[in-house]
Amino acid sequence: MTVRTRVLDRGVGQALSSLSAAAKKGLGDPALAELVVIRASQLNHCAFCLDMHLAVARELGVSEGKLDLLAAWEEAEGVFDERERAALALTEAVTVLTEGFVPDPVYARAAEHFDDVPLAHLIGLITAINNWNRVMVSRRIEPGGYRP
Amino acid sequence: MTTAQEAPYAPEHSPRLHWAEHAPEVYKAMVRLDAAARRGLDPTLLQLVKIRASQLNHCAFCIDMHTKDALAAGESVERIIQLGAWEESRHFYTEKELAAIELTEAITVLTDGFVPDEVYDRAAAQFEEAELTQLIAAITVINAWNRFGVSTRMVPGHYKAGQHK
Repeated sequence: MTVRTRVLDRGVGQALSSLSAAAKKGLGDPALAELVVIRASQLNHCAFCLDMHLAVARELGVSEGKLDLLAAWEEAEGVFDERERAALALTEAVTVLTEGFVPDPVYARAAEHFDDVPLAHLIGLITAINNWNRVMVSRRIEPGGYRP
Repeated sequence: MTTAQEAPYAPEHSPRLHWAEHAPEVYKAMVRLDAAARRGLDPTLLQLVKIRASQLNHCAFCIDMHTKDALAAGESVERIIQLGAWEESRHFYTEKELAAIELTEAITVLTDGFVPDEVYDRAAAQFEEAELTQLIAAITVINAWNRFGVSTRMVPGHYKAGQHK
């Protein structure tokens, strides 16, 4: 597996970073943000993003138990609380759009746990990591490059 | 006159959330990202990419916007209609456009597994490196708008061509 290209327009890179930063700040929950970002990166198979965000999550003190079971969060009820589960369900729906919309129950469940402002930023964060997943997978950027 | 013609259309829905008002910094970053990603790309090609990604992601608002912008810019109705079946209507498009549309599909449907080498190589044969990475960025950005549009159920039908340029 070799990298296809490392080229990324500087303006594009900066705007991608601003978008992620603005979304994360508005959500106001760095540990939850990492769970969301890692789950989307699993669905989009982004090796670089997984490597990076698993490291970030560990720096933030997210438990190994959560990281281990994140790919099967629906079957791991005792490990994730209701707010985390609502955010993860929304993450999956917004990430897998090609199979059809964001279902009302998924949206309603998220809206129950997040007010409008954090919810808008949560949607922004899910979108922002989907962006990174796309630019990294398309260019086949290899994992292991992230340094805290 | 048949009753079918007299039957009213279904009522219009309301958006779930006015996300840009609740997350203005996120919206500003999206606008900057959009402007940065379109630099160096052919606007005609870009509209085809935006329409096709929006079809795949089922973003009604985005389809409304980008088909209107494409038509206003002189795109043909036939090329827009045939986009949904471009593999069987290749003679409506240039080889460069086809490579871009195929790359759009691969990058949009990422959850089914990566961007195949054949698809990437065909695009790399048609676009030089900097232009290709701008195309990747542009495909990413329309995917992002699609995510906001669909998640918050933005309402199609009210966009006027050129409104968001």
